[in-house]
Amino acid sequence: MGYFAESFSELYNAEGWIDMGMYIGAGSSMPGWYTVIASVMLVAILVKGNNDEQDHYK
Amino acid sequence: MEDQILALTAELAAVKSAAQVTNTMFAEAYYYLTIPLMVIIHAGFLLYEMGQTRVKNVLSSGIKNLLAFAFTIITFYLFGWWFYWALPTFPVTSLTAAAGYMEISGLAYASAIALPWGDSAQYMGPNMADHASGVFWGAFALFAATTASIASGALIERIQTVGFVICAIVLGSFAWVVAAAWGWHADGWLVTEFGFHDFGAAGLVHAVAGFFALGILVNLGPRVGKFNADGSANKISGHNLPLTVTGLMLIIVGFFGFLMACIILPGEGWSWYADQGTTIYGTPMTLSALAFNVCLAASGGIIGAWVFTKDPFWMMSGCLAGIISVASGLDVYFGSHVIIISLVAGMILKPCADWVESLGIDDAVGAVTVHGTIGLFGVVVLGVFGSGIPGLGAFAPEGTVAISLYGQIVGAVVMFLLGFVPGYIVSWLVHKAGMLRIPEAVQIRGLDVVKVPAQAYPESMVSDESDSK
Repeated sequence: MGYFAESFSELYNAEGWIDMGMYIGAGSSMPGWYTVIASVMLVAILVKGNNDEQDHYK
Repeated sequence: MEDQILALTAELAAVKSAAQVTNTMFAEAYYYLTIPLMVIIHAGFLLYEMGQTRVKNVLSSGIKNLLAFAFTIITFYLFGWWFYWALPTFPVTSLTAAAGYMEISGLAYASAIALPWGDSAQYMGPNMADHASGVFWGAFALFAATTASIASGALIERIQTVGFVICAIVLGSFAWVVAAAWGWHADGWLVTEFGFHDFGAAGLVHAVAGFFALGILVNLGPRVGKFNADGSANKISGHNLPLTVTGLMLIIVGFFGFLMACIILPGEGWSWYADQGTTIYGTPMTLSALAFNVCLAASGGIIGAWVFTKDPFWMMSGCLAGIISVASGLDVYFGSHVIIISLVAGMILKPCADWVESLGIDDAVGAVTVHGTIGLFGVVVLGVFGSGIPGLGAFAPEGTVAISLYGQIVGAVVMFLLGFVPGYIVSWLVHKAGMLRIPEAVQIRGLDVVKVPAQAYPESMVSDESDSK
């Protein structure tokens, strides 16, 4: 769940910044799981939105 | 002496490094700033669409427009961006969607850079060594949202919100993306096999979106009261023409950002050249060319539409049509070409819209004509004026196909089909699910009073067509 480095000096050297994702969960499977959760939320919101809308038309 | 040479060499390397940093930061800022400029397009579409809506439905139109923007952006992140990089060679030059000549396409490449999971996730979020992916994605996401907004206006006052959102997702994160992969990518098969050229996306954004809207309109049907029993059409005026015209002008403002995002800047690893900007095809292009041609096209379109209509709605639609009519060839047209083409586009606009209406199609804002018909007109006209121009830049493979009338017509047919067919199919499915058309009783009563917990205007401005209070 956490950040992948404890110090930014680990990520910066004479060549500049290391070429890698620099966000929470980078280098792990977490971004994929966040994507799954976000996708499920979107679909659920569409389903709820449609149910609410159909109720309005009754 | 040797020490001095070493010192000078080191100093030169430092200067070059600093210059590269400046170039990289400029490129990142350039594309980043196209994004808010393109958001202005959406502000414009919002005003345009709400202005063209009657008072009783105005907030519902606004909600629909906002959701189209939001869902398209998110789904473009989740999968639309991947389609753009995956499909350029599919299915004509590679049935397996292999990489093309430039090696920046194909399933493997797309999966390495454009998915928000796995190893490619490093290019879909913060990365200090990557100053390009996010701003390119952002510009493309705004192109995607523009397609959804284009379709949105045609459908006002009788399409259900969620049903429309589903259609918008298919348009913004799939249909136009396939068109862009095929015709707006150096490895795209329409480009490499047919010399298709569409610098400013007249076909792959405007025509696809316009005909996608037509596909929906066929299944959706007209607004209650639009057509009489004998087939004749009634004019349904929006509640605020000044809002609509101002919205159209904002769309034009945003177009300058849209079109500057179509230029590939020099000096980066992803650039075609070290010292000059180009089109997405690697062919010559400058912002100065845009400045000449976009301003002239906007003006030509206004004047052309004024000749026959004298109506500010059609004059501003003509402004849009003028730019769209020359968008494919903004990089190669001379100013006087642009004046001629955009004048014609403005003049044919209203007759084309009337013809669509005579077929029983209720396109509330003329989107099918402004974006669809004029978009295809622009694609084909470039084939007339621009045949023989090299299709790709200096590093292209030998034997690259040049621009031709044949190639542009093939491209126009593909763009029509990529718009109309998915639009028809997805809206048919949504219709079968009972999620497309708002019941007639609700249309008559007014959508806002039925499903929006807010009022657009004070009591003094409530529509006399509705019991909305």
